[in-house]
Amino acid sequence: MSRIVVDGRTIPYESGDSVAMAVLRAGEHPHHGGALCLAGDCPNCVCEVDGIAYVRTCQTPAKPGLVVRRHPEVGAPEIREPAQPNVARSPAAAHIEVRRIETDVVVIGAGESGRIAEAEAVAAGRAVTVLDSADGNEVVAIYGGPTVIVRRPDAMVHYNANEVVVATGAAEIQPVCPGNTLIGIVTARAADQMHTAGVDLGVAVAVGTPPQTAPCMAVPGSLVRIVEADGKLSAVVVSHDGNETTTPCDTLIVGLGFAPRDVLSRMAAPHLPVRTVGQAAERFALPPCPTAGIVCPCSKIGVDDLDGVWDRGFRELELVKRASLTGTGTCQGSVCVPHLRAFIAERSGAIPEPFTARPATRQITLAEAAADVHTDVFRRSPLHDEHLALGAQLDRFGGWWRPWNYGDHVAEYWAVREAVSLGDVSTLGKLVLSGPDVVELLERLYPTTVADIKPGRSRYVLLLNERGHLIDDGMICRETDSKFVLTFTSGGAANAEMWVRDWIETWGLRVHVLDQTMSLAAINVTGPLAGELLQRVGLADQPSFLHHVHATVAGVACHVMRLSFTGEASFELHHPADRSAELWRALMASGRDLGVKPHGLQALFGLRLEKGHVIVGMDSEMDSTPRRLNMDWAVKMDKPDFLGRSALARTADLPDERRLFGFTVEGAAPTEGSPIFSDGAIVGHVASSFTSPLLGHGIMLGWLKHTPWPEQVQIDGRTATVARPPFYDPEGLRARA
Amino acid sequence: MNEFVETLLDLQWHEPKSTYDVVIIGGGGHGLATAYYLATRHGITNVAVVEANYIGSGNSGRNTTIIRANYGIPESVRFYQHSLDLYSTLEEETGCWIMHATKGLLWLAHTETAMRSERARCLLNTACGAETVMVDPQAAKAICPQLDLSGGGRYPVLGASHHVGAATARHDRVVWAYAQGAMRMGVHVLQNTQVTGLLRDGERVTGVQTANGNISAGVVLSAVGGNVTTIANHAELRLPVRTHPLQAFVTNGYAQSLGPIISDTELFCYVSQTARGQMLIGAEFDPQPSYSTQSSFNFLQSCTSKVTHLLPFLKNLRILRQWTGICDVSADFSPIIGHTGVDGLLITTGWGTWGFKAIPAGGSLMAELIATGKTPPLLEPFGLDRFASDQALADQGSTGTR
Amino acid sequence: MLALETLHGTRIVAAPEALDALDAATWSTSVTVLRFAPDDVFVLGAETISISGEYAIVEAESGFVGCWLTDEQLAHVAEHIDWPLPVERPVLVQGFVAGVPAKIWLTSSATGERSLLLCAAPYACELTERLA
Repeated sequence: MSRIVVDGRTIPYESGDSVAMAVLRAGEHPHHGGALCLAGDCPNCVCEVDGIAYVRTCQTPAKPGLVVRRHPEVGAPEIREPAQPNVARSPAAAHIEVRRIETDVVVIGAGESGRIAEAEAVAAGRAVTVLDSADGNEVVAIYGGPTVIVRRPDAMVHYNANEVVVATGAAEIQPVCPGNTLIGIVTARAADQMHTAGVDLGVAVAVGTPPQTAPCMAVPGSLVRIVEADGKLSAVVVSHDGNETTTPCDTLIVGLGFAPRDVLSRMAAPHLPVRTVGQAAERFALPPCPTAGIVCPCSKIGVDDLDGVWDRGFRELELVKRASLTGTGTCQGSVCVPHLRAFIAERSGAIPEPFTARPATRQITLAEAAADVHTDVFRRSPLHDEHLALGAQLDRFGGWWRPWNYGDHVAEYWAVREAVSLGDVSTLGKLVLSGPDVVELLERLYPTTVADIKPGRSRYVLLLNERGHLIDDGMICRETDSKFVLTFTSGGAANAEMWVRDWIETWGLRVHVLDQTMSLAAINVTGPLAGELLQRVGLADQPSFLHHVHATVAGVACHVMRLSFTGEASFELHHPADRSAELWRALMASGRDLGVKPHGLQALFGLRLEKGHVIVGMDSEMDSTPRRLNMDWAVKMDKPDFLGRSALARTADLPDERRLFGFTVEGAAPTEGSPIFSDGAIVGHVASSFTSPLLGHGIMLGWLKHTPWPEQVQIDGRTATVARPPFYDPEGLRARA
Repeated sequence: MNEFVETLLDLQWHEPKSTYDVVIIGGGGHGLATAYYLATRHGITNVAVVEANYIGSGNSGRNTTIIRANYGIPESVRFYQHSLDLYSTLEEETGCWIMHATKGLLWLAHTETAMRSERARCLLNTACGAETVMVDPQAAKAICPQLDLSGGGRYPVLGASHHVGAATARHDRVVWAYAQGAMRMGVHVLQNTQVTGLLRDGERVTGVQTANGNISAGVVLSAVGGNVTTIANHAELRLPVRTHPLQAFVTNGYAQSLGPIISDTELFCYVSQTARGQMLIGAEFDPQPSYSTQSSFNFLQSCTSKVTHLLPFLKNLRILRQWTGICDVSADFSPIIGHTGVDGLLITTGWGTWGFKAIPAGGSLMAELIATGKTPPLLEPFGLDRFASDQALADQGSTGTR
Repeated sequence: MLALETLHGTRIVAAPEALDALDAATWSTSVTVLRFAPDDVFVLGAETISISGEYAIVEAESGFVGCWLTDEQLAHVAEHIDWPLPVERPVLVQGFVAGVPAKIWLTSSATGERSLLLCAAPYACELTERLA
């Protein structure tokens, strides 16, 4: 005979037993008392099963070796650490199977009304799936779609249906009277189930409608109280024609009527094709108003508690619920709602509608909900493995894995300033635009003049929204009269693509767009020896500053853009992603004697800060206008129109205390984000900071947001001086060299 | 007897009158707190709070009950720290048990970018009087032993900011504490009274139209959540506000285990354990604007996946209930409080997902504004006119919202 | 484990009508025309392509990786898709595969053709890992 373990003791069970039935067969109560429905409605058989608490054992088939623990009688169950550890894979909960099934009609409940609904749908030639708890289908919830979420012992199943029929029948009303939490009380249907299973009910007394098959003595009258002896019931007191009679018994069977099992119907959004049929749709009479006893077995709430909150002025169903906690437990009101409504109906004179139903009717664990959920994808540059081989510490930035440093960001800094260095800028946004209206588009999109950019030339541009606030920046490179290449920041690329396409459509312009962000890799070759390195690998005719050419470099076709973010001469080599590792290695090999090193973001952030170049989203804020960033030079207000122009024109004369400044400080740079003080008051904060190896002191970009702007401020307890960036090579001679 | 059943309060309901000095639309935390402070601090008791449903039926009864002040701009840190301070003495002041518990909050960072933000947060908070300190992974683990520092092998914890003063309180009880306090002083709270329009005398707002009749008022304050644009429309007022659904869920009750509040800068989810032992779990608001309060399985999936990466002990806990509120989110993710430009109409809105923590400060400062006619310094930055003058208070990163 | 390899082809962005013609043309069996969008096509296996329209963008494309699938492999991939696959063949479908943005060129195995799973190269490692 098979056995399960209950609170450390093994008990046998018979084929077909639920866990609850096995426990009852052993002469015990699966919980600590309370009327059992054995139909999944009440919380009175809830246990911890195999480490999962709050499992309805009447719905759980007994299996060999199942470990059952009763919840503590007082207080909440302990948390069991899951057996399955977190592993670095996606989905994280892959051990739980998820099935997704497309079907036409889902019928929930295989009772009489469910079978009729099934037959009707079949007759109409429709595909039907019938879900019944007896077949191991616990329906968790109905969501939009409609999507029916089902928990099975072996899997989670998500049904996407055209129609859902709720045929869940009716639940039996639970007794509310003194002693209703004792051991030995069952509903009429539960009694029949136990009898069928061969469980001995002992001396059984039935109150109300008697069970159909279980042998018992029916006692006429209404339930008054249940009498306790030795921790379980010993007798039942019934009132009949004004007389109370006490009947000793081992088991009390209650047949007190029904309430619709309509939680799923009440949960479904009104517009969903969800129908309720049979008893689930029936409006049964409410039970009499309870006068004493526990109303809500989940939270152990008694009638006296309801009286208490009612008398304290909580007079709405929801307020009574929230103040007394009735209906907020595991059974989600299945037991208490009829009694609670009867209580409020008697006190207020009006029958309230049941409260809104929310997922979940049958409970699932967090792991079961998350079972097939994948995490976000982190993108890898084509040079990912090169970086790892060079000892890079990678960080996620703008949705990509990027080198933060290669072990020594200061050495990387010096390679850029004094020799030559490679930076992986494959993550930059890259759009190709072509069409008869392309100039028109770009003139409207950017605050810069575009028409005068000659083919082969490029220009740094700001991207503003309609509010005149900076949303991105980048380069525009003109290829021909009607073709441009645009670049955007790594983090802003995805939005920028949508932004450009959206405006093309809004304005009805004839422009084609190809997003090459992930098709092209890009390597920034930067430093005073960059030109020499590129000479060695075949770039003979090198573009001058803000020019771009198509050329072959180390055998790889490249679009070479001459620009500078680091402050040194820089060549951005845009090239096919699949050739990137080859090009990178050729550059590293050819530059070995020049002292070439790769540089990561940490060095780059410092290098550009010496130049005072702003990083969008790091130095700029959500509402940074060009004026606030001291970048009015990049805005041509004399253009007839561009995105943000009217906002900039409107706000131009408004007082504006917010401005991005440069600062210098003796010694190491203060932490980014440090508040800036003047006369003891916070007047701004440091946006970015860097201890410049070249200058030997701290430099910063930071916001001052209160006028008059001071010349000197306190940062990190030290005096800092407002300075005008760039802090390095103010004439920009090195970038052009 | 369940110790969490309400046994201390006494709500005294009144028959409605046709005129009041102040009519507050919305019987949630902000509306009732404003009424409470008007009555208790300023002696203004001829006040009605008009509620379409029952008190606390909106976002006040649907939020995840977190009280914190670890914002990213000085204006907000000061405001929310004021609120946090008022919360900590609210039980003493009202004699009500709001189940206030100081727990501390760990805001986890997984990237250098996030570390940079958290370091900045700590410095700014400290400068503005909120206690927030940077902790390394081991210190975070000491504060919350259940943390998986590898983030499920996917989101390794590089560090965290520890906001020491963060707390939780039971949302309903906060609403009731303010309601009781206001009602005792004679404030009328009118439930099941839907405002259908505003009474006007020329441009001036002079009261409200309700399904149960007109009520005239010296001043009308809109303190509604989720439908503020509808109220504003009655005054032809256009607000820079969008309404988004915000979902959350709660597990069954378990033995007390999780000490602090856990939050995450990248995954935008947060977890705390209630006094009843339930794990209360939420995430950022849904991206699409909507007035729907229907819950979605997508949310449950994504949120459970995120939190179990950080706190694997949650995996075997069973989900009890899932629900949805709707939030009014302003263009700069900061609240809008004060004058509207329409005479006789004041507003408190834009509370997004962070209205609960603001209830005491929002209510007391709004009451001061109504009573004195002067905008208190803590409220000055939050006026509606900041949008026209391009003086937004952008602090998206602190709101728990992308 | 699926081996995702670089797909070399030609990417063309042009007027939808011009691409309709390209799409409808008879190609040798070694050519695959993947219509990413009405104005965007990725052509595999064609040496030269002529396209009408002076503003068309024609670029060599090597930013995608892919794998031609056996029926068995396709069935395995399908287990990682949480949206219904259409019955129409051949057809290009685009969406999340194991949570990764990907595309599948679904063909009829009755004609002896194989289906092609492809994604942008930066996603290749994660897609491979998740399908393993």
